[in-house]
Amino acid sequence: MEQEVLELSRDQILTRIERGAKMRGLLYSAPELISRYREGRLDDPSAVGDLIAMTSLLPDDDPLFVRP
Amino acid sequence: MSAPSLDTLLGQVRDLSKQYLAGGTDAFGAFADLVNLLLRTTVSKGSIGVRLNAGPRPKDRMTVVGAVADENHLVSLNDNNLMRLSIILFREQYKDGHRMKVEQARYQYQCDDIGKRWIFRYDYVREPKDQHPATHLQVRGQLAETVSLHKGMLERVHFPSGRISIESVIRLLIEQFDVPPNAAPETWRRVLAESERIFEDIAHRPLSGPSA
Repeated sequence: MEQEVLELSRDQILTRIERGAKMRGLLYSAPELISRYREGRLDDPSAVGDLIAMTSLLPDDDPLFVRP
Repeated sequence: MSAPSLDTLLGQVRDLSKQYLAGGTDAFGAFADLVNLLLRTTVSKGSIGVRLNAGPRPKDRMTVVGAVADENHLVSLNDNNLMRLSIILFREQYKDGHRMKVEQARYQYQCDDIGKRWIFRYDYVREPKDQHPATHLQVRGQLAETVSLHKGMLERVHFPSGRISIESVIRLLIEQFDVPPNAAPETWRRVLAESERIFEDIAHRPLSGPSA
């Protein structure tokens, strides 16, 4: 393999999601962005699809995925 | 350093494809290397187009993303525009071994870093959670005629499409958007065709364009 795998911690993933969303004009925390995406409450969800994809690197039982 | 010959490139495409199709623990890396090879031979401005990310989840799942800008997942293109690229891969048990599958793939051609000035997007989601087609195309533009559009804008319309390969997106950029390729047509067409042929053979589908 040519390149190394970049191992991201949970904090790094959430930070990247929030920074990416902020750069795109969405001032939400990572949990808020994910909740809005899942509930269909974003005007243009595909604009952040790559950011939401980062959550696939978290375990299924991560608190982000647990509904209150 | 001289450019690799066509035979060398085709050999690398076959080896990497064989490796990712085998579904071993090295499948994710082989897939990322293949995408880099395809981009390097065609539309990528830099030598590294994508990188492989892993997280706290057990290593049955990784993402392949554009290597430029941590939060924007971009590939620099030869026409000075960008492609936002994000692919989720996972391995699953299959018969006596494993196989690698794509959970999501997203390609967006855009003019700026943050993606406000995008041109088109292809999204594939294996298990969609909303009402939009699992595989769809969006185009940011205006219609010549007045009709009722979802959310009032053409760019919010999700055109259903078949599953789109990365090879067909690259081919689209070169052939329809005039993105300059890094190799002669007789090289890049063969390389894309060989890679796409291996992928499409599994899906029993034709190629997205001529192989030479």
